[in-house]
Amino acid sequence: MEEATELGSLLLDVGVSLLQSGASCSRIRITMRRFATAYHYDAHISIGPKSISLTLNDEQEQPVFTGVHSTPAQGVNFKIISGISRLSWDTVEHKLSLQQVRNELNRLLSLPHYPRWVILFFVSLAGSAFCFSFGGKAIEMMITFGATFFGLFIRQEALKKKFNSNICVYAGSLAAALFAGAFIKAGVNINLEHAFATSVLFLIPGVPLINCFTDLIDGNTLNGLVRGMNAIIISLAIALGLLTAMLIYQLQ
Amino acid sequence: MEWILILGKAFWCGFGAVGFGILFNVPPRTLFALWVGGAIGGFLKFSLLQLSAGVVFASFVGASFIGILSIPIAHFRHVPPMIFSIPSVIPLIPGVFAYRTMLGLIKLTGSIGPDYSQVIADTVNNGVKTLFIIMSLAVGVAVPMHLMRKESVKNIRLKPKAAHD
Repeated sequence: MEEATELGSLLLDVGVSLLQSGASCSRIRITMRRFATAYHYDAHISIGPKSISLTLNDEQEQPVFTGVHSTPAQGVNFKIISGISRLSWDTVEHKLSLQQVRNELNRLLSLPHYPRWVILFFVSLAGSAFCFSFGGKAIEMMITFGATFFGLFIRQEALKKKFNSNICVYAGSLAAALFAGAFIKAGVNINLEHAFATSVLFLIPGVPLINCFTDLIDGNTLNGLVRGMNAIIISLAIALGLLTAMLIYQLQ
Repeated sequence: MEWILILGKAFWCGFGAVGFGILFNVPPRTLFALWVGGAIGGFLKFSLLQLSAGVVFASFVGASFIGILSIPIAHFRHVPPMIFSIPSVIPLIPGVFAYRTMLGLIKLTGSIGPDYSQVIADTVNNGVKTLFIIMSLAVGVAVPMHLMRKESVKNIRLKPKAAHD
C-alpha cells in the first residue's frame, strides 16, 4: 500500500514533467505505463490540458491509488523528455528502486538550460538561416539576426517577470519587428517581406503545432484541439506584434 | 548555379534546426544529428522545388524523410524520435506564406476596391498553402512511427539479429 502511494505520486510527477516539457499524449501514456508495469501495477491514465489523473491497479485488479497532479505552465524542454525516456528503460532493465527513480527524476528536473548567450546566438543564427532560405541577402540576414536577438531577449525578460505567456510572445514579436522596421525607415534598401517575415519566426509555436496533429492522429482529439488552439493564439500574438510595428512605422 | 544555391540553403537550414534545438533544450549529443536532419530536409525541399514540384509536396517529402530518419537516430543517440524530428522540420515551416496570409487578411478588412477579388484569391491561396504545408510537416513526422506499429523505437529491429533494443 505504501509502495503504491509512492509509485503513484512518482508517476504523476513523471507525467506532468513530460506534459509541461512538450511531449505528446501517447508518449506520456506509454512512459507512465512502462514505469507502472516495471513495478507490476496496471495504470489507468487520463490526460487533461494542464493536469494528469491516474489510478493504479494491483495484480488482483484492485485499485490501490488514485490521484491528480496539475502542472504550472512552463517552456518546452526536450532534455527532460529524453532523460525520462532513458530513465524508464533503465527502470525496466535494471529494476531500480523507487527512491533511485525519484532521485534521478529530481536530477533531471534540475538540469540547467543552455547558457543564455548560447541560446540568443544560435536562435538568431537560425533566424538568419530562415532569411537565407526564403531568398534573403547578406544585409537582410544580418538585420534578421539582430532583430531575432533583440526580440528573444525581450521575450526572455518578459517571461522572467512572469507575464502571461502570450503577452511575452507579443512583446518579442513587437520588439523584433520594431528592430527590423527601423532599418527600413532609415532608408536601407531591403526587401520588407524577407526582413519582417523572418525576424519573428523564432516565436512560431512549432511544438504545439506538431503535437496537435500527433494527438489528433492518435485519437487524443481533445488534447489535440487544445494544443492547436494554443498554437493559433500564439500565432495571433505574433501577427499582432508585427501589425503594431507596421502601424507605428506606417509601413504597407 | 542553382544547385550551389540549393546546397547553400540546405547548409543554412541545418543551422535553423540547431537553433531551435537549443531553444527547446535538446541534449547536446543530438545537435549534430539535428544539423544533418535540417540540412537533408531543406535539400530535399529545395531540390524538388527546383524540379518544379509543388511546395506542399516538396515539404511533405522533406518532412517524411526526417520522420523516417528519426527512427535510426533515436536508436543510436538514445533519444525519443520527436527530439530529433521536431527541430529538424522547423526550417520547412512556411513563414513567408503565413506572413502574406496575415497581410492579405488585413487588406480584406478595408473597403472594397477594384482589386478586392485579387486580394481574396491571393489570401486564400497563401492561407491554404500555409495550412497544408504545416499539416504535411506534422503528418510526415508522425506517420513513419505509426507505420512501424510499435509502441517504442526500442522495439523496432534495425538489424536482423540485434540481440537487444
